[in-house]
Amino acid sequence: MKQKPRVAVFDFADCEGCELEIADLEEEILDLLEIVDIVSFREVMKEHSDDYDIAIIEGSVMRPMDEKRLRDIRSKAKILVALGACATIGGVNKIRNQWMHDEVIRAVYGDAQVHGNPLFDVFKTKALNEIVPVDYYIHGCPIDRDEFKHVITALALGKKPEIPRYPVCVECKKNENICQFELGAYCLGPITRAGCKAICPTHNSPCEGCRGLIKKAETECVWEVLERYNLSYEDIRRRCTMYNYGKEECNVDE
Amino acid sequence: MSPIKTISKNDLSNFINKLIADKTFDVVGVKSKGIRFVYDNLENANELRLDHDVTIIPPKKYFLPQYEKLMDFNLEKQYEVKPNDEMKSRIIIGMHPYDVIALEQMDKVYLDSQKDDFYKKRREKTLIIASDIQNVSDRSFASSMKTNITDKGFDLLLTKLENKYAVTIGSEKGKQLLEKYAKVENAKDLDIKNIEKFRKKTLNKYKKKVNESKEEWPSILVDNYNSGVWEERSDKCIECSSCTMVCPTCYCYDVKEELALNLKTGSRIRTWDGCLLRDFTKVGSGEVFREETKERYRHRFFRKGNYLPARYGFIACVGCGRCGIACLPDIADPSDVINSLSHHIRSDDTTKFFIKQETKVAETNTIHIPRKATIKKIEKLTEAEKLFEIEMDDKKPLGHKPGQFVEVSIFGIGEAPFGFASPPSEKPTFEIAVRKIGNVTSKLHEMSVGDKIGVRGPLGNGFDVKAMEGKNLLLTLGGIGMYPMRSLINYVLDKKNRKKFKQIIILYGAKRPKEVLFLNEIQEWKKCDDTTCKLTVDRCEHGECWDGDIGLITTLFPKIRADKLDSKNTLSIIIGPPVMYKFVIKCLQTLGIPDENIFVSLERRMKCGVGKCGHCQINGVYVCKEGPVFNYSQIKNLPEAFE
Repeated sequence: MKQKPRVAVFDFADCEGCELEIADLEEEILDLLEIVDIVSFREVMKEHSDDYDIAIIEGSVMRPMDEKRLRDIRSKAKILVALGACATIGGVNKIRNQWMHDEVIRAVYGDAQVHGNPLFDVFKTKALNEIVPVDYYIHGCPIDRDEFKHVITALALGKKPEIPRYPVCVECKKNENICQFELGAYCLGPITRAGCKAICPTHNSPCEGCRGLIKKAETECVWEVLERYNLSYEDIRRRCTMYNYGKEECNVDE
Repeated sequence: MSPIKTISKNDLSNFINKLIADKTFDVVGVKSKGIRFVYDNLENANELRLDHDVTIIPPKKYFLPQYEKLMDFNLEKQYEVKPNDEMKSRIIIGMHPYDVIALEQMDKVYLDSQKDDFYKKRREKTLIIASDIQNVSDRSFASSMKTNITDKGFDLLLTKLENKYAVTIGSEKGKQLLEKYAKVENAKDLDIKNIEKFRKKTLNKYKKKVNESKEEWPSILVDNYNSGVWEERSDKCIECSSCTMVCPTCYCYDVKEELALNLKTGSRIRTWDGCLLRDFTKVGSGEVFREETKERYRHRFFRKGNYLPARYGFIACVGCGRCGIACLPDIADPSDVINSLSHHIRSDDTTKFFIKQETKVAETNTIHIPRKATIKKIEKLTEAEKLFEIEMDDKKPLGHKPGQFVEVSIFGIGEAPFGFASPPSEKPTFEIAVRKIGNVTSKLHEMSVGDKIGVRGPLGNGFDVKAMEGKNLLLTLGGIGMYPMRSLINYVLDKKNRKKFKQIIILYGAKRPKEVLFLNEIQEWKKCDDTTCKLTVDRCEHGECWDGDIGLITTLFPKIRADKLDSKNTLSIIIGPPVMYKFVIKCLQTLGIPDENIFVSLERRMKCGVGKCGHCQINGVYVCKEGPVFNYSQIKNLPEAFE
């Protein structure tokens, strides 16, 4: 067998939940270590090396210092993988983009003196691909462990991972769920990328769009549906704010 | 013994509970799920809801599961494959007549000349206890489709009478089941009258109907192929393919590989796919053959109302109404679509989008499990292309014809189709040429002599070389059309065969000199008797060495001595990129070659190779079955062929 790819896991602004999903592979983590060498993964190990082939990055980019660090990682990695919604689309971190930075800082830190401190020197939240090229995406909030395994095995075999480019409805129907719209709820499933096995609607919770939108919420066909179910554009826009603020539509190839 | 029995409600419960207690089979039936109904395992007879209107998804999930493991493989032990044979016997209770009829239709597709072994096993191990419809779904138009009742396709059929059920015996197995587990009485005349009465009463419950009889669907659709209705309605389509997922007569599937994290073991699974999804027709090179939503939307209705009817003789919509419920913008209901189409003209030519062809298929035990083979030789052709010689490990020759193709498997990576690049042979070897494009082709490029692969085939019809005997052959090829054409050329130019054919003209166009394939062989071809070989490249950069023509392939045609060509006695064969066909065909027509003498080999997404998965369809034609070689006169009227 060829030399195992060296993998480093990094995080930016995030909850570390997606990294936890990797750590949660439990006994399978030994299988993971058989196919890759993990050289850096702050959440689970002390060791660190700057010599890696694949960088897996969780989190969004909020500050000039993050941007610098991200560019540095990109320059060292042959392959860069965005892990989880914060990294792939900006996710919940983008909610704050609807307000001015000062307002946000005041709301969170009150009168504390943070001005001039580089840790608080923020710009608008960005997904990784707004700063550096991203090779592969592992979507979701949190990620789906099976999809993580698919991407990592594909990369270990030198194969391009196959990520669905169709909406959640496909998987939702296969699960034989009652449609959320039929239940009076509204759901972003019809315009959100599948691959999560429709986990939310399967557990009777409408889709929040964490895997990114593959169709604009503004398209005529979506309007039609909204109208049929007595929903307003504002309703759907508000729901999109959770994970997709300011992002009209993802490139389906992301 | 009368085929109709009656059973008291109580005894029906006992019967079902006894079935459930017998652990040799799974008992599934219709249960409630919130405001809707589903088929699910029964733990007790009280769970069974024979009063259901319709289930969210049809019972096709028991014959073609949403995710079905086809085989396990072990990457450490080279090419050890274990087909999935964990299939328990099953009894399905509560299937409505329309679902029974949909299943009978599915039998035609999955158990035709190329039997789907997994489907067959599941089907054989399943007993069906159907149920006459008690409550009608608001969206159902089964009465218009004459699928509201059925007298066959079930083992037993339950009809609700007052305080009891009638049980119609539909098969020997059904009869035995009753004898073993149930307490029944012979139906009296009054009971039989009441069955009819009950069915008639249900008939009044239908809210939706189709204005035209279903026999008219094929002609209505033919006449409306270019109707504005498709665009108007598909403008509202979200492309979620929910309509196909919930449809009992949509059985297209995709095949994927799942690997364990240790990269040692994995499985190949198939999962439902939908023709409304854009990637459905996407081939390795990235081309999508039904790019517009309108085309995909139309395809679904044509498949149901025209293509499958032409092929099998049934309308592939049973009026269950599930798509109407599932479709958020409410554009998927076939009754609405048919009712919105204009019915003024009636075409008799209802099978114009289909090519009837008797293809002889080699009998195999399985259509899914590849045969083991070994890479014997690898030759680099260009920077991105390699030629592979492959030997079957069982030493049995494939017996292929030029123009046919094989599906090559690399476990863990996937499967992809390749045309034969070598002429027919009695040896257990064959050649394929591979351009590095996708996952499978890239992996092949990394492989070495001695490595194992899997092979399914030969697939498709191939060229009828017998019919070419005594004719002039004008062979036009562009780009990687060289691969399959090489198989044919090396066959006709073989010393043993050359005399069977008259003059042979080969016109070959490549993009760049460095992309010209098999140049050494071309030199040999030129030396053959009565053989002309003309080459052209689209462009030649400074510093590139080239002594042939420069220009598109069409520029070679004026160089043929048309006056010396007996065009009526000339067969022309074209293989090349999709964009090439239209222009070359024009040139051929200028030369006076009749359309019947023109043959083309077309590329689409051949996934299963056996006319099941639906990806390679050109209108009503499966490229993997009726093609990839087509007579131009037959295919020129298929609007999707040369778009």
